[in-house]
Amino acid sequence: MSAAPSRSQFLGALGSMALAGCAASQGGRAGSKEAVRFGVSGPFSGDDANYGRVWRAAMDLASNEIARDGGLRGRPLELVYEDTQSNPRQSLVVAQQFVDDPSVLIELGDFSSAASIAASPVYERAGLVQFGFTNSDPKFTAGGNYMFSTATSVRQDASIIAHRSSRLGRRHAVLFQDTVWGKSASGAYVEAARSLGVDVVATQSYLADAKDFHAVLGTVRAANPDVVVYYSYYTDGALLLQQARDVGLTAHSVTTGACYNQQFITLGGDAVEGIVLPVEFFAGEGRQAVRAFARVYEARYSETPDLFAAFAYDAVRIAAWAVERGDFTRDGTRAALARGMTIPSMVDGPFRFGPDRRVARTDETWLVVKNGTFALWNGA
Amino acid sequence: MGETLLSGLVTGSVLALAALGISLIFGVADIANFAQGPLLAFGAMLGWWLTAQMHLPYTLALVTVAVTTALIGALIERVAVRPVMAAPRIAILLATVAAGIVLDRITQIIFSPETRVLADPFPHIALTIAGLHLGAFDAAIPAIAATAALLAGLFLAKTSFGRAIRASAQDPDAARQMGIDVGSMQSLAFALASSLAGIAGMLAGTYYRNVEPAMGTSLGMEGFAAAAIGGLGSLGGAVAGGLLLGVVQNVGVTLFGGAALQVVTFAAVLIAFWLRSRHAPPAAGAAGAGFFGLRAHVSSRPLATIALAAPAFCIPLFCGPYVLRVGSEVAIYATLGLSLTLVAGTCGTISLGQVGLFAIGAYASALLEKDLGWTFWCAAPAGAVVAALIAALAVAPVARLGGQELAIATFAIGATIVALILDLDPLTNGPLGISGLPPPVLFGHAIVSARDDYLLAIAAFFVCLLFVERLQSSPLGLTWRAIRDDVVAAAASGISPAAYKTLAFALGGGIAGAAGSVLAAQYLYVSPDIFDSNLSVLALTIVVLGGMGNAWGALLGAAVLVGAPEVFRPLHDYRILAYGIALLLLVRFRPQGFLAYR
Repeated sequence: MSAAPSRSQFLGALGSMALAGCAASQGGRAGSKEAVRFGVSGPFSGDDANYGRVWRAAMDLASNEIARDGGLRGRPLELVYEDTQSNPRQSLVVAQQFVDDPSVLIELGDFSSAASIAASPVYERAGLVQFGFTNSDPKFTAGGNYMFSTATSVRQDASIIAHRSSRLGRRHAVLFQDTVWGKSASGAYVEAARSLGVDVVATQSYLADAKDFHAVLGTVRAANPDVVVYYSYYTDGALLLQQARDVGLTAHSVTTGACYNQQFITLGGDAVEGIVLPVEFFAGEGRQAVRAFARVYEARYSETPDLFAAFAYDAVRIAAWAVERGDFTRDGTRAALARGMTIPSMVDGPFRFGPDRRVARTDETWLVVKNGTFALWNGA
Repeated sequence: MGETLLSGLVTGSVLALAALGISLIFGVADIANFAQGPLLAFGAMLGWWLTAQMHLPYTLALVTVAVTTALIGALIERVAVRPVMAAPRIAILLATVAAGIVLDRITQIIFSPETRVLADPFPHIALTIAGLHLGAFDAAIPAIAATAALLAGLFLAKTSFGRAIRASAQDPDAARQMGIDVGSMQSLAFALASSLAGIAGMLAGTYYRNVEPAMGTSLGMEGFAAAAIGGLGSLGGAVAGGLLLGVVQNVGVTLFGGAALQVVTFAAVLIAFWLRSRHAPPAAGAAGAGFFGLRAHVSSRPLATIALAAPAFCIPLFCGPYVLRVGSEVAIYATLGLSLTLVAGTCGTISLGQVGLFAIGAYASALLEKDLGWTFWCAAPAGAVVAALIAALAVAPVARLGGQELAIATFAIGATIVALILDLDPLTNGPLGISGLPPPVLFGHAIVSARDDYLLAIAAFFVCLLFVERLQSSPLGLTWRAIRDDVVAAAASGISPAAYKTLAFALGGGIAGAAGSVLAAQYLYVSPDIFDSNLSVLALTIVVLGGMGNAWGALLGAAVLVGAPEVFRPLHDYRILAYGIALLLLVRFRPQGFLAYR
C-alpha cells in the first residue's frame, strides 16, 4: 500500500472540500450585479438526458435572441442549467441552490412532475416561481401559489383526445407507460372516453424502460379493440407500434403530443404510418412566430423542433416577459404571470393563466403520420 | 398460450445472451461484474454507429464490437480490478461498479443520449407461428444464444487458454507455480465476458430494433436475474435461466399486466434462491471477515459519541441553506449506510437490497401520516418497525445461503419491493406517489427550513448510531462477529447462523426504514422514482469506503459520496463521469475504507 495516501491526508482533503463548500454558499455567487438569472432544473444527464439536450438547445436559442435584442431592459440574461437527472433527490437540493441565489428570479423545470413536486415546498416558501412547463400532473400546480405550468393538464388533454378518437370506433384500449404522466393521463382518458359512451375494453400499463412488449400487446389484441390509445413517449411509442404489428394488432392508433418528434417516425418506420395525435405546437403550421422559430431551430440544430423544444423556448420567453413586467423581483414576476391577460407566447399566442395557474386549451391541432412525415389531419 | 410461450422463448434468448457474460465472469473469477450492463449498452451503441454511420456490413460490425468490448473489458480488469485484487473482495465489486459508472457516462457522451435504429440484417421474411409474426432474425436469436454458450463453454473446457483461466481462478498460487500468468488470464476472462456482453448488446438492440445508451440498466438487471435463476457461474444455466425467465415474464405480464414485469422478474429470482437454499448445507460459505478485510474491535462509548456529535450540530451556525440541504442528504444516506454497517460490518453478510427497506420506511410513515393522521414522531418509528418486519420475513428463507449468493438474493428482495410499490396501486398510489405530507411539528414549530431539516436528519443519524454501537458491543454483537469470523466454529458452538443473520437484517432493515421515514419528512413526498436500485449500491459504497465495522465510517462515506456529485456540479456534463473516476480512485487507494482498523 505504498502508493496510498495516508488517512490524515485524505481527511485533510475532505475537510478543505467541506470548508470550500461552506465558503461558497456564504459568499454568494460571483458575477455581474446586473445579470438576471433563470434557474433551469432538468435532466441533463441520466435516462432522460435527451429531453435535457432538447431543452438546452431551445432555451439557448431564446436566450441568444434576448441577448441580441439588448437583454432584459439592458440587463444580460443568464440561464443557470443544473442537472437533476429528473430525480426528486437532486431537484430538492438544486431548488435550495436557486432560492439561495437572489439573482435567480424564476425557475424553469423540472422535467418530470415527480421531480418538480418534491421541490415545490422549497420554491413556495422562498417565493420563487417554479415554472414547470412540462408538468401536466394537476398535483403540480395544486402544490402552491408559485407553481405555474403551460403544459396542458391531463384532464383537458384527455377530453380533447376522447372527442376525436371516439369517432374512430366504440371499443377502445388504452396502453400507458407506468409513470406519473402515463398513469394520470390515461386515467383521465378512460374517464373522458366513458363519459362519451365509449367502451374501454382494455387498460394496460408497461414499464417505460422495457423493450419487449409482445406479451402486453397480445393481451390488448385479445380484447379486440377498434382503437388503441398509446400514452407513450416517442421512443417507447415507436417500439410498441412495431411490436403491435408483430402480434397482429390492427386497430386505429391514437397517441399524444409526446410522440410529436421526427425520431418517432425514424424509429417506428412503417409501423407508425396512420397514427393520429393532437399537438399544442406544429412546426409546419402557418403562424409567423412558429415558422420563424422552426426555421432558426432547424438551421442551427438540423432537426425539427418538437413539443419539448417549443415549450422550453416559450418558457424562457414567457419568463423574460414576466421578469421585466415584474420589475426584476421574485414577487413581481409571480404577480405578472398571475395577472397578465395577454402574456406573449409562441405556442398559444397571447394567453392568460387560469385560476389553476395553467393554460386552458379546448382543442389542439391534429396530426397524422403520412408517408414518413407529420401532416395535418382533418379526418374523423 | 402458444403465442405467449413462443414469444417468451424469443425474449428469453435475448436475456440468455445478456446473462452469459455475467455468469462467465462469476464462474471463472468469482466476481459479480457490475460493468456488464454498461458494456451491453456500449456494444449496442457501437453496433449502431458502425452499421448506420460507417455503413459497415452487419457481421463485420459485430466482430468489431466483439473485439472493442473485449479490449474495454481487459482495460477494466487492468485499471480497476487488478490493482485491488489483494484488497478485500468487496473492493473488487465496488471497482466494477465505478468502472460501470464511468463507461455508462462515456457511452452517453460519445453517442449522445438519443435512441437510434439498429437495422436488422436479415431479409424480411415474416414467419407466422402460433399467431405471432416473427422476422428471420427473431427466429434465429435462440440458435445464436445457444451457439454462443456452447462456444464459450468449449473454449473454457477444451482449450489451453480456457483451462488456464479456470486454473487461475480456482487456485492462483498453484497456477502461478505451473507457469501460468495469472494476471493475464484474468484479463482474458474479463475480455471474453465483456466481448459476450458487447455481442449480446448489439444482438438485443437488433431484436428490439432500437438502441440507446440508457438500455444497459434494465437489460443488465434482467441479465443478472437470468444468470441468478440459472445458477451463477454456469453457462448452460445462463441459457436455461434466460429462457425460463423469458417465459415467466411473458406469462406474468399476460396475467398481471405490463407493469408487473419487474415484480415477476425479481420474484422469480427470489423463488429460485428460496428453492436452492433449502438444499444448501447450513452455514456454508459465508462471506466472512476476509471478504471485507475486517479486524475490528468494537466498544460502545455513548458519551464519546455524543461529544463527537456536537460539532455536527453546530454546522448550521456556519453554513447556508444549500450546504445544509446537502448536509441533510448526507445524514439520511449515512443512516442508510449504518443499516449496512450492522449487516455487513457486524455479521459479515453483504446486502444489496437496502433500497427496498428504505422505501418501505418512507412509504409506511407517509401512509400513516397521510391516511391515519399520525404525527411524524409516531409514524417514523412505526415505519422502522414495518421495515424491520418485512426484512425479517424476506430474508429468513434465504438466510442459509452464504456470501455473494445471499447478496444477490438481497438485491432481488430490494428490487421486488420497489417494483411492488410501483405496482400495488390501491395502497401506494403507484407511480403518482404520495404528496402533500404534513411536515413534522416539534413543540408547535413546523420543521420545514433547510436548517431544521438538517438538524432532524443529523439527530436521527446519531440516534441510530448510538443504537448500532450499543448493539455491536452487546453479547448479540459478539455472536454476530463470531459468525462473521468463523461460521463453522460458531455453528459448532450451537449458534444458528441463519437465525442471527436474519436478526441482523431485521435490525439493519429497521434503521434503513428510519432513514426512509426521515427522507419522507424532508421531501414531504414519496414516489417510486426516488428509490432506484442504485441506492442500494450507494449505501454499500458508503459503508465500504467509510470503513466497514466502524459506525462513524458511514457518516464519512456519505459525506464523500453524496457530497461529491454536488462538489462536481461546476463540471456540468462531466459531473457523473468525474464522480465515477473519483470512486474508482477511492477504491483503488483506500479499498479498506477511511476508518478501518488495521
